Amino acid sequence: MVRYVVTRLLQLIPTLFGLSVLLFIWVRALPGGPDTALLPENATAADRERLRQDLGLNDPIWVQYAAFLARLAQLDFGHTLRGRAVSTELAERFPATIELAFVAMLIAVVVGIPLGYLAARNRGRFLDVSAVGGSLIGICTPVFFLAFILKEIFAVRLGWLPSSSRLTPGTSYTDITGLRVVDGIITGEFHVAWDAVVHLILPALALASIPLAVVTRMTRASVMETLGEDFVRTAESKGLTARVIQFRHVLRNAMLPVVTAIGLLTGALLAGAVLTESVFAFGGIGSFLFQATQSRDYAAIMGTVLLIATVFVVVNLVVDLLYTVLDPRVTVDR
Amino acid sequence: MQLRRFRTTTALAATAALLLTACGGVGDDGGDDQTFIFGVPNLPRSLDPIFANDGETFRVTRQVFDTLLDHESGGNEMVGGLAETWDVSDDGLTWTFNLRDGVEFHDGETLDAAAVCANFDRWMNLPEPFHNTTVAYYYNNLFGSFTDGESSTGNDFLVGCSADGLTVTIQLKETSANFPGAFSMATTAILSPGSLEQIDDGAFTGIDDGLPDYTQDVTGILAGTGPFQLDSWNHAQDELTLTRFDDYWGDPAGVSRIVFKAYDDETALKQALEASEIHGYDLVAPAHVAELEAAGFQVPTRGVFNILYLAFQQETDEQLADLEVRQALAAAVDRQNIVDSLLPEGGVVATQFMPDTVAGHSDNVTTYSYDPDAARPVLEGRTMEFCWPTNVSRPYMPSPRDIFESIKADLEAVGVTVQEKPMEWANYIPAAASGECPLYILGWTGDFNEGYNFLGTWFANHTDEFGMNRDDIFAVMQRAAREGDPDARAALLAEASEMIMDELPGLPISSSPPSIVFSAEVNPPNVSPLTQEKFDEVSFR
Repeated sequence: MVRYVVTRLLQLIPTLFGLSVLLFIWVRALPGGPDTALLPENATAADRERLRQDLGLNDPIWVQYAAFLARLAQLDFGHTLRGRAVSTELAERFPATIELAFVAMLIAVVVGIPLGYLAARNRGRFLDVSAVGGSLIGICTPVFFLAFILKEIFAVRLGWLPSSSRLTPGTSYTDITGLRVVDGIITGEFHVAWDAVVHLILPALALASIPLAVVTRMTRASVMETLGEDFVRTAESKGLTARVIQFRHVLRNAMLPVVTAIGLLTGALLAGAVLTESVFAFGGIGSFLFQATQSRDYAAIMGTVLLIATVFVVVNLVVDLLYTVLDPRVTVDR
Repeated sequence: MQLRRFRTTTALAATAALLLTACGGVGDDGGDDQTFIFGVPNLPRSLDPIFANDGETFRVTRQVFDTLLDHESGGNEMVGGLAETWDVSDDGLTWTFNLRDGVEFHDGETLDAAAVCANFDRWMNLPEPFHNTTVAYYYNNLFGSFTDGESSTGNDFLVGCSADGLTVTIQLKETSANFPGAFSMATTAILSPGSLEQIDDGAFTGIDDGLPDYTQDVTGILAGTGPFQLDSWNHAQDELTLTRFDDYWGDPAGVSRIVFKAYDDETALKQALEASEIHGYDLVAPAHVAELEAAGFQVPTRGVFNILYLAFQQETDEQLADLEVRQALAAAVDRQNIVDSLLPEGGVVATQFMPDTVAGHSDNVTTYSYDPDAARPVLEGRTMEFCWPTNVSRPYMPSPRDIFESIKADLEAVGVTVQEKPMEWANYIPAAASGECPLYILGWTGDFNEGYNFLGTWFANHTDEFGMNRDDIFAVMQRAAREGDPDARAALLAEASEMIMDELPGLPISSSPPSIVFSAEVNPPNVSPLTQEKFDEVSFR
């Protein structure tokens, strides 16, 4: 097991190296440059050229990439156009994305698995049709549109929930982990924890829409397939209770493809966070990446995407390890 | 059993609903806090104004730092700032400022002439990385003088600063149209001597290593004399907080705190305002103004101090080198329709490249009226490339897509085939500056009340933005740039304006007031045509 985990983590190095090369070329191929963010509109072409020179953007791309790698070897992601260390920005903002993605995935799993299971058990009935139809809408609706609608209804019209931010602007709080809900509980600042919870609801719902739909459909399909397996009939013939059959045999076996999907959805979740955080002014790495792309902040784009890629690989490793728990036939040492 | 479960569920739901409702917005905080929350598209690039050149940075630093001169509240006339009175010698080279007495910095130091000169000395002694527009854009353009080395702009206006009690004397090498406006620019704000002692400009190695830490976080180094002082900058939440400075030399601020909160788009700002999470924001989309007013929000009208234009790049597209074609394009565009339907109330059709409130505006320029019948014979059958910026809103151009679509429809109506070239803002500005776009829309908001600040931005010499080669116009502009007498300068600028409108390097479209909105619960500040609102004037009703 340990050998497997170490091997997988070592595989991360060439993966990230390849990604960094592609990303480096891609971000520099984007039209425009950082001069629009750093200079006023009446800056001359000479001013702009001077800026590119000062930022080293006129050097050959391999020279720029070598400089980037040299810094990266020291875990230095460079500076944003503002001048802050990218690593500092990511460290400050990543907890927001973790908190949001966790809650969104929690909604997707806690609602999606029972809903998919019940839909499969009630195939063709109202619940099933509603679940399938609802999940289709969830997959088809763009996150930013859903976010806009949720904000319009629950924040603007009804006034039940805040439309933006992680906390009410200007709120004082103690920062320990960067996770506002957790920090609020640890420090006894329960009003902060509650404020963070209510600020999480709408963005988490918006971000959960696609994972929820996928988990529901995957669970439904997988449960229906498992229900027809021989071992289910065997369990029934042995006289096991329906509860034991459904939960120990059907649901557990049906979870394998669902867990795979959850692993893959993590990537989609982080990508979705870019739009969701931006629309909700949530302040995580998604917002950061959105702003960095707008202003052609190359260092910020590189650092954020590499972090997301690392998280994606690690989450999928965790998913692979979870297989061994769900299905003892699966071993990771092979 | 079932009834009990139902009751429990109902009680939980009711509690949750109450708590959710109680989460409320900023209006629910009660009266003691008096925190004014203003939504912005960006937080400052730097807390030290010398590094800054953008409006969102100056929106914040203006509340913290004062300049020698200022603009009247709600207007564009120059008034005293830290200087109560000022005077200039007949040759325009010696500027004398008499400072206010009893002004304190946020760190407890007292303002005197030596403190002001310490700032000028700092700027003049900035090391090489500062000697170009990359790092200190405005200082290089307005003064450009360094004791060790030269500015990349070639400017060198400043001799030095001398102090005598509360009297500051600034000596210039030559006159410039940028004076006295330069003394009112937020980038030349006065920092306390204690701040200057702690700032190590020599440690700054260049923009590629980022700006110094003290410009990115509230470290206690920076102290000004403004009505608010820096309190905290929460990068993770995109919030910057200022607190009232109780020893401010003017009237005390009407609120105890200001929180600037950044949002990525205008729709998010509008929803945050409607949900009572912020008390105001700037650059409201014209389509939202009527809706917000109907909902009880305050949208005070600013004076106009900007220009939106349609540029004709004469070197990129040979067709545009023909004056008859440029004149026909001017006749083809229904500018009144753009002003009436796409720009905020208070907008006007522009007759030249400066608003009519600025000295140097001429009543004798050639004007071009909407006449598609006259334009058609010249333009019919032509094909032209037209660039426009996507996903951006500017004070002079709140909705570029709509403005582009309107002009495109006008051009197509007279037989022009428009090759549309939408670009992201980050790509658009460099493309326009380098002459890649034959037709494009752009504009400018004045830095201060000076006609040269408009015309000089585009027509002081040949630029790739317009590709205009008129040495006679450039010569008049150069004379205006060095003319110290304001009246004589205005006459030269009027002459240049008339020549420019005969040449027609582009079509001035409009001057329009960018909309700013406030919630009903606050008394808003006087709104400024230069978008320089003073938030110490804000109070809660």
